[in-house]
Amino acid sequence: MWFRLWVLIGKEFRQLFRDVPIMLIMIWAFTGAIYVAGHAIDLGINQYPIAIYDMDKSDASRELVSLLRKPYFKIVANLESDQQVTPFLDLGKGSLIVIIPPDFARNIEGRNAQFQVITDGTQSQTAMLAISYIGIITYQYNMQLLLDNPSASLAGISADSLPGIDSRVRVEYNPNIDHTWFTSLLEVFNMITLIGMLLTAAALVREKLYGTLDQLMVTPVQPLELFLAKIIPPLVLTMALSLVGLYVVVHQIFGTPLRGNILLFYGVAALYCFSISSLGLLIALFSRNIAQAMLILFMILIPMLFLSGAMTPPESMSPIMSYISLLSPMRYFMDFGYQVLFKGNGFAYVWLDIVGIIIFGTIIFCGSLWRFKKMIG
Amino acid sequence: MKFFRRSKALAVKETRELFRDPTYLGLSFFIPILLLQLFGYGLSLDVKNLPIVFVDTNNSSISRQYIDSFVHSEYFDLIGITRNAEEARELMQRGTARVVVELPTNFSRNLVSGKNVAIAVTVDGSFPTRAGIIQSYISAINAKNNLELIQKMAEQYGLNADTLMPIEMRLSVWYNPALESINMIVPGILVLILMLFPAILGALLVVREKEDGTIFNLYSSPIRRWEIVLGKAAPYVVVSFIDYLIIYAASILQFDVRFVGSFWVISSAALLYCICTIGMGLLFSIITQTQLAAMLLTFLLTVTPAFSYSGFTTPIASMDSLGQFIAHLIPATYFMDIVRGSYLKGLGFEYYASDIASLAIYTVAIYALCIALLKKRIG
Repeated sequence: MWFRLWVLIGKEFRQLFRDVPIMLIMIWAFTGAIYVAGHAIDLGINQYPIAIYDMDKSDASRELVSLLRKPYFKIVANLESDQQVTPFLDLGKGSLIVIIPPDFARNIEGRNAQFQVITDGTQSQTAMLAISYIGIITYQYNMQLLLDNPSASLAGISADSLPGIDSRVRVEYNPNIDHTWFTSLLEVFNMITLIGMLLTAAALVREKLYGTLDQLMVTPVQPLELFLAKIIPPLVLTMALSLVGLYVVVHQIFGTPLRGNILLFYGVAALYCFSISSLGLLIALFSRNIAQAMLILFMILIPMLFLSGAMTPPESMSPIMSYISLLSPMRYFMDFGYQVLFKGNGFAYVWLDIVGIIIFGTIIFCGSLWRFKKMIG
Repeated sequence: MKFFRRSKALAVKETRELFRDPTYLGLSFFIPILLLQLFGYGLSLDVKNLPIVFVDTNNSSISRQYIDSFVHSEYFDLIGITRNAEEARELMQRGTARVVVELPTNFSRNLVSGKNVAIAVTVDGSFPTRAGIIQSYISAINAKNNLELIQKMAEQYGLNADTLMPIEMRLSVWYNPALESINMIVPGILVLILMLFPAILGALLVVREKEDGTIFNLYSSPIRRWEIVLGKAAPYVVVSFIDYLIIYAASILQFDVRFVGSFWVISSAALLYCICTIGMGLLFSIITQTQLAAMLLTFLLTVTPAFSYSGFTTPIASMDSLGQFIAHLIPATYFMDIVRGSYLKGLGFEYYASDIASLAIYTVAIYALCIALLKKRIG
C-alpha cells in the first residue's frame, strides 16, 4: 500500500507543479495577498478624517483643536463658511466636523460654552467611536480648565486635592494595538482554508470529468490511497507556503511577534488543512462539474470565514450564530492560532480546539470515503 | 439589430445551458440571498458584552459602586470579582476574560480623602479592534465617575456643580441619526455581494469552455471576439441584476433599511456595476487556463480588497496613500459611494456623476482588455 500511495502522491505532485499559473497564484496568495490584507485599516479609528470650522479663532478654540490630534483624528480641512459644511459631508471628503461658535472663549469665562459636532453616521461603528473620543477629549479639556484655574469654580479647593480615578492601561500581547498583526495573521488562516479546499476539490472533480478516475479505479488503487494522494500534495505545498507567509510577511515585514511553539502550530495547522481538504473532496463528490463545485464551495467558504470569530468575536455573536459557528472548523482553528502564536499558549490551553478540528476532520473524511465507495460500488 | 446577431445567438445558447443546469441556476440566486441573511442577521460589528474581571483588594462600598458602573453599561459582562491577581491573569490567558481591572487596597481611602488613585487595566490585545474600543469605553466610564466625584465634592463645599465643566459638546448625526449599524451593514453587503458573486459567475464563463474543449466551437465559427465577450456576458448580467433586485427588495422590506434616494439612480448604477463585475470575472476567465486558477484569482482580487478598501467600515480619507490607491483601483469603492449616498444621504444625481463616470470608464477598460486578450486560436 505504501508504495502505491507513494507513486500516486508523486503523480499528484507532478501535476501540481506543472500548473505554473496555479503555482504563481498560490505564491501571491501567501505573500502579496497577505500584505494587502495586513495593510488595510479596520474598524478601529485611526486618523479619522475631520474638518474644523473655527469661528472664534481664540486661544481657547485653538487649544481644543490641538487636543484633537493624531493618531485618532486627521484634520483634512479648515472650513471658512456655513456653505462649506454640507458639501464636506455630502461628498464624503471627511466624516466629522467640529464647529466652534464665535463666542466660545467668552462663554468659557461665563462657564457655559458649547461647540458643535456634526458627524456622518453612514459608517455607524467608526462614527460612534469617534464621538466617544471627542467626548473624552472634551472631558479632558474641562478638567484642564478646572485644574488651571480652580479658584474660578472650586473656591477653596486646591487642584491637587481633587479625587479622581486614573487608569493605567496595558494592552497585553499587542502593546501598541497594531492591527496589521491581527489582519495579516488572519489572512494566513484564510488562505490555508481557501487553498486547501479549492485545490483538492478541483483536482477530484477534474479526474471525475475526464474519466481518469474510472481508469484509476480499475487498477489496484484503493479509495483510501486515492484520497490521501489527493490531499497530501496540496497540504504539503500549502504548509510550505504558509511558512513563507508567516515568517516573511507576517513576522519580518509587519514585525508581528510569533511567540508560541511553532511545531505545535504547524502540527495542528496540517491537521486543519487535512480537515478542510476533506471537505473539498466531499464537495467534489457531490458536484457534477467544476463550476458547480466552485459555487458550492463559496456557499460554504464565505460563511465560514465570517463566522470564524475574527469579524465578530464569539462573545458578541447572537446565540444562534454562535452555535452555528461551532460547526465550522475555522472557528476552532482561529482560536487555536491566535492563542498559540499571539499569547504563546501551550497544549493545555488549546486542546479543546484541537479536538474540535480532529472530530470535524474525521467525520468529513470518513463521510467522503463512504460516499465515494458507494459511488463506485 | 443585425449588428448583434451573433452575440444574440451566443447569449441564447448560454441561457439555454444555464437553464439546463438547475443546480447552478438555483445557486446563482440562492447564494446571494443566503449571504444577505447571514450578514444581515449575523454580522454584528458592535463590541458588546465584553467579559471583564475585577481584582478588588479594596472590597469597600466605594469599590463595589465603581464596579457597578461597569456592570450597568451594556458594554461589559462581569465574569467575576476576585482578590487574586494571578487568577485574573489566568482567565485572560485562557481567553475567558478580555479585560482585567485591578483596584488597589487604598482605592476608597484615596478617593474619600480627595486624592488620585491609579487602577491597573489590562486589555487583551489579540483582537486589536476590540482592544482600542475597550480603552475608549474605560476612559469614558472613568470620566463619568470622576465627574460625579468632583460634583459631589463641590456640593460639599456648597458650590454650583453645574458650572464645573464649562464646555459642552452638542452632537448631531447626519444620514443615520440613530447610528443603527443595519443601515451601514446591509447597503455595504449589497456592494460586496455584487462584487464577488458576478465576478465568480463571469470567471467560470470562458475558462469552462476551455477545459471542456467546447471553446473550439467558438474558435472555428465566424463569430468575432467582441461578439463572444458580449454574448457570454449578457445572460449573466441579467442574472446578477436580478440578484441586485432581490437584495434591494430584501433590504427595504425585510431589514427596514432607511432609503431616501432615487431607485432609478441606484438601479442604473447597479446595472453598470454588474456589467463591470461580470467583466472582471470574464477577464480572469480569459487570462487563465483552468477554472481553479480563475476562481482563485477572482477570490484573491475581489473579496479582500473590496472588504477592506471599499470604505465599507472605515472612511477612505483615513487610509494612507497606498491604501487610497488600492481603494481607487477597485470598482466597489465607487459603487459604495453611490449606494451609501442613495440609501442614506439622498443626494441629487449630480453628486454621483463622477462615481458613475469612473465606473463607466472602468467598465469600458475591462471589456476592452477582455476583447484584446481573448485569443481566437489555439495555444
